[in-house]
Amino acid sequence: MISKKIVLTGCFGVGKTSLFNQFLFQRFSEKYLTTIGVKVDKKVIEVNGHKLSMLVWDIAGEVEQEKVPQSYYLGASAIIYVFDLTRPSTWLHMHSDIDYLNRLLKGVLINIVGNKSDLVSPEQLEYMKAGVPLSPNILTSAKTGENVEALFQSIGSALLLQNL
Amino acid sequence: MMNKLRELLLAGNRQELERLRRLPGDPALWSEKVTPLIDERLEFLKNNFPVEFRISVENIIEQKLEASRDELLDIIYPTLGQMIKKYIQHQIQLLKESLEEQLRNTFQCGIAGRLRYALSGVKPKEMSDSILSKMDGPVIEEIFVIEQHSGILLGSASRHDTIDLDMIASMLTAIKSFVEDAFQRGDEKLEGVQYGTFSILIENFYTYYIAVAVSGSFSSNERMALSDSLAQFAQTDLKVNLKKRDGTSNYLIRQKLEHRFFNPQMAILHGEQNKNPTQ
Repeated sequence: MISKKIVLTGCFGVGKTSLFNQFLFQRFSEKYLTTIGVKVDKKVIEVNGHKLSMLVWDIAGEVEQEKVPQSYYLGASAIIYVFDLTRPSTWLHMHSDIDYLNRLLKGVLINIVGNKSDLVSPEQLEYMKAGVPLSPNILTSAKTGENVEALFQSIGSALLLQNL
Repeated sequence: MMNKLRELLLAGNRQELERLRRLPGDPALWSEKVTPLIDERLEFLKNNFPVEFRISVENIIEQKLEASRDELLDIIYPTLGQMIKKYIQHQIQLLKESLEEQLRNTFQCGIAGRLRYALSGVKPKEMSDSILSKMDGPVIEEIFVIEQHSGILLGSASRHDTIDLDMIASMLTAIKSFVEDAFQRGDEKLEGVQYGTFSILIENFYTYYIAVAVSGSFSSNERMALSDSLAQFAQTDLKVNLKKRDGTSNYLIRQKLEHRFFNPQMAILHGEQNKNPTQ
């Protein structure tokens, strides 16, 4: 079976750990516990009959990605860059962060994810679309589980395609 | 005249009587009289507590300890056991190193020493190993070949069933990354993790590293022997198999690891001779 390292990153409090828990254990907690260092877990998904072992690294949030220890990113096959749809400060450094990740990990698959979609009204969504520097690949809600499975499935498909 | 005289003589007593009559209903008066006495008694108790209450306190503690003996033992036992075990392992390691040193001196110093060595034909290291072979020595429990940075498991071998191997490889890599980043020592790499009498030795190569979980204490010579053996293994057995990186490579690496490190005839650490792999 093929194994791939996937890194969840983004500003603190955007819901990386909640996405991680929703994807791996289908659970959500209202409690906010900041991640210290890094947390790793694994899930095997199946895409078109092929199994893929996803080793998801949930790393502690930083305002800017250059502050995250580089070694956490190295060897990653995909990056999930999460921002909070309700907090503009979480997409303030998005452009420089993505540039930095592209420089560090050439050719890596980067998914920009707008999380907490359950908390935004259509008007807020419009406001976000106008202000966010790069358009997100997908909008998710770790609370309701909306698009969480779809996010990881799409990453899994892309990674398997690269490997075939 | 008599009444006047009586009033004059008893005036003081009457005032005192009146004050005493008011006493039960007047807290301020009570406080004025009683507080100094209480303070004095408290001061006395403070200074003489051990003398006055020693026996009572000892009895209470004794009863409490007796009543919660099981709970106390539950708390103390694991820590105590671990401490004793660790101490014994440490002492064995010291004994082993001193024995090796002494044998080396005996057999290699002076003409008489060299003569003894020539007659016996046994090297000091072999002799110390033989003496200590019955004692609790180091045992390789698990070996992992892990890709640097990504933490992807390339192959592993274990003496017993263990938790998810991919998870061990990833978490070990995360810990390694954390330590190497946190202390910012340039290109220096984490070479081991130790808890209690269990050690994880890490041998770093360019694209991967090998982590060896060893139980029991081991000397610096044994550490070097293991390091040499891992380097040799990487050179001869891993080189070919890592190039493939397909579904079969993991299985092939496991076979090679088992053959090299869990085979009693290929024992690297002296404790290995007493153990048989379960896989």
